[in-house]
Amino acid sequence: MAAALAAGCAVIALPSAMAQAFPSQPITMIVPWPPGGGSDIAMRLVADAASKRMGQPMVVVNKPGAGGTIGLKEMASSRPDGYTIAMVATGAVFAQYNNPNANALSDFEPIAFFGDDPVVLSIGAKTSIKTLADYVAAAKASPGKLRNGNDQPGGSSHVAASLMERTIGAKINKIAYAGFAPTVQALLSGEIDSATVPAPDISQHHKSGAARSLAIAGAQRHFLLPDVPTFREQGIDFIAGTWRYIAAPRGTPADRLAILEARLLETMRDKGFIEKARAAGFIVEPLNRADTAKRLVAEDAAMYPVFLEAGLVRARQK
Amino acid sequence: MDLLTALLGNLAQGFVVAMTPVNLGLCLVGCLLGTLVGVLPGIGPTATIAMLMPITFYLEPTGALIMLAGVFYGSQYGGSTTAILVNLPGESSSVVTCIDGHAMARQGRAGAALAIAALASLFAGTVTTLAIAIGGPAIASVALLFQSPDYVAVMVLGLVAAIVLAHGSLVKAMAMIVLGVFVGLIGTDVTTGEQRFTFGIDDLFDGVGFVPVAMGLFGLSEIMLNLESRAQDGGLARLRDRLWPSRDDFRRATPATVRGTLLGIVMGILPGGGSTIPSFASYSMEKKLARDPLRFGQGAVEGVAGPEAANNAGAQAGFIPMLALGIPPNAIMALLVGALMIHGIQPGPQIIARQPELFWGLVVSMWIGNLMLVVLNLPLIGLWVRLLQMPYRYLYPAIIVFCCVGVYSLRNSMMEVVFMAVAGVAGYVLRKLGCEPAPLLLGLILGPMLEENFRRSLSVSGGDYMIFLQRPISATLLAAAVLLLAFVLLPGVRHQRERLRDD
Repeated sequence: MAAALAAGCAVIALPSAMAQAFPSQPITMIVPWPPGGGSDIAMRLVADAASKRMGQPMVVVNKPGAGGTIGLKEMASSRPDGYTIAMVATGAVFAQYNNPNANALSDFEPIAFFGDDPVVLSIGAKTSIKTLADYVAAAKASPGKLRNGNDQPGGSSHVAASLMERTIGAKINKIAYAGFAPTVQALLSGEIDSATVPAPDISQHHKSGAARSLAIAGAQRHFLLPDVPTFREQGIDFIAGTWRYIAAPRGTPADRLAILEARLLETMRDKGFIEKARAAGFIVEPLNRADTAKRLVAEDAAMYPVFLEAGLVRARQK
Repeated sequence: MDLLTALLGNLAQGFVVAMTPVNLGLCLVGCLLGTLVGVLPGIGPTATIAMLMPITFYLEPTGALIMLAGVFYGSQYGGSTTAILVNLPGESSSVVTCIDGHAMARQGRAGAALAIAALASLFAGTVTTLAIAIGGPAIASVALLFQSPDYVAVMVLGLVAAIVLAHGSLVKAMAMIVLGVFVGLIGTDVTTGEQRFTFGIDDLFDGVGFVPVAMGLFGLSEIMLNLESRAQDGGLARLRDRLWPSRDDFRRATPATVRGTLLGIVMGILPGGGSTIPSFASYSMEKKLARDPLRFGQGAVEGVAGPEAANNAGAQAGFIPMLALGIPPNAIMALLVGALMIHGIQPGPQIIARQPELFWGLVVSMWIGNLMLVVLNLPLIGLWVRLLQMPYRYLYPAIIVFCCVGVYSLRNSMMEVVFMAVAGVAGYVLRKLGCEPAPLLLGLILGPMLEENFRRSLSVSGGDYMIFLQRPISATLLAAAVLLLAFVLLPGVRHQRERLRDD
């Protein structure tokens, strides 16, 4: 009896002892985007700071391709033991509807939210438009005439431009560029009238007067553009951009998720970390697992109609 | 006079920053690393700079930038080494160097080719540094004059000029360009977000990468051809009595270097320009200008000097729009912007006024770095040439291993290795059929850019084709393309080309 009880205790004690030990080996953080981009820089900052708190090195591995699908598939199909995690961004919402090979968001277990990278509506110096009200009026007066620079259909900046069209109730001519640098270049050269790109890509040109940022699609103003009001401040309820969260494969034990969540939140709430990330242009607004999950549901619901309208829903339907 | 004083003052400030022991050391580390990744095929400066980024969190921004920049232009030197020695482009920008550089190596003049490549790069680096110092911001504004229709015209001119690249049949050259453009169609369409020719394979969504294709077409197919033709198992090159270029080599190489430098500066500033397209363009131009174009492909020293000058000038000119406008013209410059932003520095019009020590320190360090590279590389030439005397049965497995490692590291993906293998077999078949791989690669680079800009021009103009003729830049360049095409197709010229080929 005593022996059986002792054995039983050992069985119960074993998992918790393992949990105590977690993490006992390096953690791989898959960044499904190429090195040097915003996502890569953000996650390298996180990994660098989190390694100290985890007591184990956190190693960033870039697995770019197919709009993040390749890297996320690798994460989702890896052993759910907490040692392989990945960064998931806005594009994953699109991929699950567009690419039959892509994982659904439900294949990932959210750990913690990193923050938002809202888009900024900016205009070139040569246009006669001065304010957001002018812009909306011009768009309504001649639908489809204003040329807006954004990324390809399905990309975060294109989605933002499409959501903006729906919110202001007027069509614009969405011109696709392969990336934000060429978009900004086209805005400065006068090829397009406006652009919807993240704050770090445009703030320098707003300050120099080569372009003018009219409104930012975030909940608050951006520290890089303190003089640019939000859409909400100007009476338009519009929020859009890129966001990033960290996730593990579905089936990762809850106790390990909890440890990862706690360590990552500590890391991202650290003053020194926030300052470092700010210097690199990132807003850090961490959310816990439950709030991240809630946020994802809302984002998914807002974006789906845009994909449907663009004719890009191929894989799963809602 | 004031201008000169100001310039000297700025350069003096740059020297003070660049000559501190720490920054000199970082410059040397960058150049050494760059040479190394340039020599190793496939492992490119982009991946290297990305891997070094976390280290730069702990460096001064100026020092960090000096080191990362050193990796970039250092790789331009290193890339030509394997291109010349074993017909393997270490970087995409050294693809054309393979054509005549490797031909020179086969004639036992590898040392001369390496020396010319290094010296042409030094000249280009010096001139570009001066150009940045004198007119950086003014030059940068040229990039803002270019809109989508103008890029279309540049690409059209480039594709027409590509026909000149081939040294065989005109029809085969055109077929290769078209094939390259077709391969370039694979992937996600920028305008609509549609997937084309991807067959539902994730690894094809972003298109077929340039580097694996270039390494397969040139490097692997070369190995296959070598193994086939090599009955005796000696080394690749014989050692001639001298490693240094002859007086005649210098006479031919000098004007080509000057032209390549100018071309590299102009094209390097434009977005998407980088260092690859200028090197192709320079080769086409040298071949067109040469009195005896038949020497090209047979070890013409101009075909090494021009492109090598152009790619180094292009690499460094890319810093102009990155620093002065805050607009990175290529992936590597985007990485450097990222490195600066980590330190809270936003590249852009104000950077020269607000961070003069960073701007001028970098400019001067680039010149010092170029000098270091030549000092590093010239003594190595003897060593490289000796490497070629190694029995081929030891050399080729090593080359294949390095290729696989390098290509894998591009995206940490096995598919890239598969692409390279397929391209290798395709290259072998094509070369057996007498088709040159260089025009195919140019089609692969220019095709997608041409299509993207063409369709964008039309969506900007609302479907009006006149946009290509209304803009002065595009109209001029398109006229030049038509003239060039007429010249190539003119009965007299064609007749002469064919006659020359039969010789």
